Amino acid sequence: MKQIAKDEKAVVIIGSGAGGGTLAYELTKAGIACVLLEAGAYLKNEDYHNNEWEAFKQMAWLDARTTSGSWRIAKDFPTLPAWIVKAVGGTTTHWSGATPRFKDYEFKARTTYGDVAGATLLDWPITLEDLAPYYDKAEIAMGSTHRHGRPALPANNNYKVFANGAERVGYKLYATGPYATNAEPYDGRPASIQDGFNFQGDKSKAKWSTLVREIPRALETELLDLRPESHVVRITHDASGKVDTVVYADKSGALHEQAAHIVCVAGNSIETARLLLLSESNRFPKGLANSSDQVGRNYMRHLTGSVYARFDKPVHMFRGETMAGIIADEAAHKPDRGFVGGYYMETLSLGPSFLAAFAEPGGWGPEFAEIMDAYDRTAGMWIVGEDMPQATNRVTLSETVRDQWGLAAPNVHFDDHKNDVAMRNYAYDHAQKLYKAVGAIDSHRTPPYPSTHNLGTCRMSAKAEDGVVDRWGRAHDVPNLFVSDGSVMTTGAAANPTLTIVALAIRQAEYIAGELKKGTL
Amino acid sequence: MKTTKRRLLIGSAAATMMASTFAKVAIAKLPLARGGDPASDKALVRMIRVMFPHKRFGDGPYQRTADAVLAAAGKTPADRVAFSAALHDLQASGFTELDDKAALAKLKSIEDTAFFKLVKGTTVTTLYDDPEVWGLLGYEGPSFDKGGYVKRGFNDLTWLPEPRIEEYAGAGQ
Ligand SMILES: Cc1cc2nc3c(=O)[nH]c(=O)nc-3n(C[C@H](O)[C@H](O)[C@H](O)COP(=O)(O)OP(=O)(O)OC[C@H]3O[C@@H](n4cnc5c(N)ncnc54)[C@H](O)[C@@H]3O)c2cc1C
Repeated sequence: MKQIAKDEKAVVIIGSGAGGGTLAYELTKAGIACVLLEAGAYLKNEDYHNNEWEAFKQMAWLDARTTSGSWRIAKDFPTLPAWIVKAVGGTTTHWSGATPRFKDYEFKARTTYGDVAGATLLDWPITLEDLAPYYDKAEIAMGSTHRHGRPALPANNNYKVFANGAERVGYKLYATGPYATNAEPYDGRPASIQDGFNFQGDKSKAKWSTLVREIPRALETELLDLRPESHVVRITHDASGKVDTVVYADKSGALHEQAAHIVCVAGNSIETARLLLLSESNRFPKGLANSSDQVGRNYMRHLTGSVYARFDKPVHMFRGETMAGIIADEAAHKPDRGFVGGYYMETLSLGPSFLAAFAEPGGWGPEFAEIMDAYDRTAGMWIVGEDMPQATNRVTLSETVRDQWGLAAPNVHFDDHKNDVAMRNYAYDHAQKLYKAVGAIDSHRTPPYPSTHNLGTCRMSAKAEDGVVDRWGRAHDVPNLFVSDGSVMTTGAAANPTLTIVALAIRQAEYIAGELKKGTL
Repeated sequence: MKTTKRRLLIGSAAATMMASTFAKVAIAKLPLARGGDPASDKALVRMIRVMFPHKRFGDGPYQRTADAVLAAAGKTPADRVAFSAALHDLQASGFTELDDKAALAKLKSIEDTAFFKLVKGTTVTTLYDDPEVWGLLGYEGPSFDKGGYVKRGFNDLTWLPEPRIEEYAGAGQ
């Protein structure tokens, strides 16, 4: 592996997930050497456990965090606002794989939805047209089924219930994808063996992640200096206001400095915002790149909710690819439903260990036991829709709680917007109707899990005062600082975010490579 | 037999007395593992079963869960003494003699206590994380080493027609 000297001004990428891992590969492929700093360990596919709690303890980001606001998470899981990964490959190592694109009007949410009271809607400074070629590249990289000649995954049991229900209530736009797991061998990786373990890390490598594709390929270029267990604690800048050094703690807590020519932050929205806030200075008293006071604000987590339905016949929802089932009929913007924006329905399954923890947090008694008793006769779906950005939904630094390095923990404050509540109730209702149409005895509305989609804390904006980064993800305030993950999303759209994060990272890499070549960066 | 109000009052007064004498003796030597004090073991196992009643489950999973609860309850002396006192209160109230309905009502009346929450929280992450329970619920667990489910029934549901898997080809997309 390449070793870049600590005093050599390098391109430094922070975080190796969907955004950072993709950027590292695209830049090294273009001949640009990079240092990739990752807080987590270099776990390999064979290290993963086919066991929910063991995997959680092995992979989840469990550093100190706090919550506030009226969302139920603050009550049920007060120290776990988000369920994401700390390891090389980031959260792509245990994502499901659903890869829908954003729709054209979702890049123009303010124009399309109008002035929604309490929401800080804004149009993106880019359009679907700008992103379309990169969506193609991302789908090809990730091997999305139903796209670019990739075949569909077969119907698993959970999908059979889901799709038949969809048909009976009159939905048309259902399919087993797009989904970034191989239905047949592709790109040097095998076909799915339908092992049912996605949220625990995929041992088989059929599922795309930056761990199985971008990072090994970046290492092969001999231009990547990957440093796992390197937790960035501060980014500093020079007298001109350009970032110049990245300070990180190794696993023993010893501090190191890496000189930087360019810094790209991709720590997943909560950590990205926190790192900028922690990097305050005389010049940036509210946090690095935060003259607009927008860093940490407009935190979005998608609408979300799940419905688990019980039948009198076996389903075995846990067998097979967890989320290889998508219904897009409700994804459109149809304000006559009583809310703006739309949502997808996607198959979902948890094992008994996690279903017990998340189906009805805090629940107990005979009704709860009934949910669990029906485990092998249960079908499940997830609802994922656009939530409204709000200035007060926000990542800030805790004044009391510190992490293992003594750094202020992030606090995540969240209140549902009225539009979120209306959409969730409508979606629950329609999910329950779908299952009823196919014979469900009963169904249960499960509240949102700790956030798996974390977006918007450093949003892209045309005007510097409205956001944190420009159309390339470059900080308005700091010309050699980039944000390269889901935090740049101006609004969240209905679709799962990872395809868009990857597309944006490919586009950003092309821009950075171009600017470096021109000598303008 | 008709339960009079008076009898109930006497009963609960006796229970309180018993609880306080018991408490003095027994709290200090409350076992940290199951098996030290059969009566309190029984009360805890019964409590967990009433909270999460599954007719199909034998005592094994509930007993293993009680072990985990005791381990979680014994972290500090303060935790240990608070837990023992609460468990003794429950025993002294005659909890183990109650039928399912009355036992459920009794637990409902203490569901906001730290004691109850500790038992509940530990049970949720223990009882259903038990391979015997998985088997009883029809969950087949780790699968990679067995080649996944691709040849073990991932698509064996036959009570519904085979659905389309391709995206809709019609108009209006
Ligand atoms: C259970 C689950 C299922 C999901 N399913 C889907 C799906 O079907 N479709 C979809 O589109 N999305 C899905 N997602 C979401 C998807 O995983 C994320 O959108 C995506 O991984 C986010 O990419 P990222 O680059 O922003 O962050 P991540 O992938 O989380 O990567 C961030 C990395 O940065 C590291 N890091 C953070 N702070 C620091 C620091 N200070 N120093 C060094 N390193 C740091 C972290 O350890 C981590 O490795 C799912 C997520 C979960 C949890």
